Amino acid sequence: MATRMICKSVVAAGIAGFMATVSNAAEEKIVIGVPAWPSAEVTANIISMTLEDKFGAKPELVQRGTLTILNQVGEDTIQIHPEVWLPNLETAMARLEAADATVHLSPKGVDAAQNICASRETLDQTGVGSVADLSKPEIAAQFDSDGDGKGEIWIGAPSWSSTAIEKVRAHSYGYDQTMTLLEMPEDVAMAAVDVAASLGRPIVFYCYAPHHVFKLHDVVKLEEPAYDAAKWKLADSNEDANWIENSMAATAWDHSHFHVGYSASVKKMPEIAGFLDSISFNADDIVDMSYAVEVERISPEEVARSWIEANSDRIGEWTK
Amino acid sequence: MVNLLTRFRRYAPLLILAPILAGTAIAYAQTFKTQIYDPDTRKWYNYDQNRAMKYYRKHGQTPGDFQRQVVTFRTAEKPGTIIIDGDKHFLYYVLPNFQAIRYGIGVGRDGFGWAGIVEVGRKAEWPTWTPPPEMVARDPNAAKYAGGMPGGPENPLGARAMYLYVGGQDSIYRIHGTHQPWTIGLNISSGCIRMVNDDVIDLYSRVEVGARVIVLMQGAALYKGV
Repeated sequence: MATRMICKSVVAAGIAGFMATVSNAAEEKIVIGVPAWPSAEVTANIISMTLEDKFGAKPELVQRGTLTILNQVGEDTIQIHPEVWLPNLETAMARLEAADATVHLSPKGVDAAQNICASRETLDQTGVGSVADLSKPEIAAQFDSDGDGKGEIWIGAPSWSSTAIEKVRAHSYGYDQTMTLLEMPEDVAMAAVDVAASLGRPIVFYCYAPHHVFKLHDVVKLEEPAYDAAKWKLADSNEDANWIENSMAATAWDHSHFHVGYSASVKKMPEIAGFLDSISFNADDIVDMSYAVEVERISPEEVARSWIEANSDRIGEWTK
Repeated sequence: MVNLLTRFRRYAPLLILAPILAGTAIAYAQTFKTQIYDPDTRKWYNYDQNRAMKYYRKHGQTPGDFQRQVVTFRTAEKPGTIIIDGDKHFLYYVLPNFQAIRYGIGVGRDGFGWAGIVEVGRKAEWPTWTPPPEMVARDPNAAKYAGGMPGGPENPLGARAMYLYVGGQDSIYRIHGTHQPWTIGLNISSGCIRMVNDDVIDLYSRVEVGARVIVLMQGAALYKGV
């Protein structure tokens, strides 16, 4: 009997604690930033639906650029960033930390990669093999499509943290002199890859993995020297007008990875912070999400709902 | 070698067209002000409309590459989307199962000096053409139609027009037909994206208002001299 009483009181305390968290979450404003790429759109929805289903919260989703979301998480005006890419946002993270605007990162990141890619036939057609080759005028000219003698290369969407670093890389390798660096929404760039593949024309472009383009086309990464910390120095574009000239990135990207980021107010809700810390997607999850949104034309919300249904055991693990 | 032959066949029509223009350049170099850019040879050629018309009348059609055809097209875009490649002068209408209909297009002399995503906001059959005020001011023929030229075989917008909208607002760009089919494959005359009338009628019958239109960044204006 005594044992049963104890059990009952533990259960009661547990329920009381859970209800306190629920009421806390329901009262606290939780805004989730949604950056402009497909896997982040899905994971933002998965986080939102889980917060609603398991914690009784009423999260709000807002679309913003990745850097804006990160800064707002630092200010606690947005509470969650679904994909904080590193090393892309390291400079911004350091600036926020110096200003006591902490962004907490979930410990279990997803392995990622960032490169310059080409269709496989581009290698034979143009003789390009490495990123450094793009600084050779005779190689670069083969990617010329507007008659100015310089090639064209897509380096990312304007709102992406990687785009600024790709500018630095182009400057460090020297192909900012031989190629026009194009900043465009990802869908425009991917349509250009589709057209190049259909016509058998050469193309080079910034690429990141996990991504559905590797499933859609025969895409290869251009070679470059392995990451060397001594050759990577990134000035902060917010503080240095000559940040491109004062930066250097003449090797491959460091091993990339991305994490869920959350604000100080979320840290004070241990159940929710515990859930965010437990999230662990793998590369296959991310490719499937990206493919479902971009190729199969399923809305991020629907992909998220299906993913939750198919992975209730994992959600259960993350939220227990 | 097979690859080389395939490539030659693929671009043979363009190679045929280029010498017509290049030959003109040698004979009458001083008399030409208008030039077009050939992306395959990466050279500028003087443009002679009479020779282009003769070529068209002799063959009775646009060069093979610019004729409407279904091509393999692996894409993440949904069926019904239009992709415009102003550089290579192709318009793709995405079909299911990784296929697309590829049409030849002409690009206006102002070119598509921009890239991005717009949508078909409105469609019209045998549209009225209203010349812009600057054309009315300089061209007495255009001035006759300052109030609008009714649709018909002489109307420069041709048989159909699809009006491209940005953020719900009409842009100045249209996909339309032409009564000058010899201009397909080139960057000449004023206008936006021109297609031969048969093609624009075909495209019009497939496209829905609200369809997404992606204009590739390689489609910069490849025209100078006017």
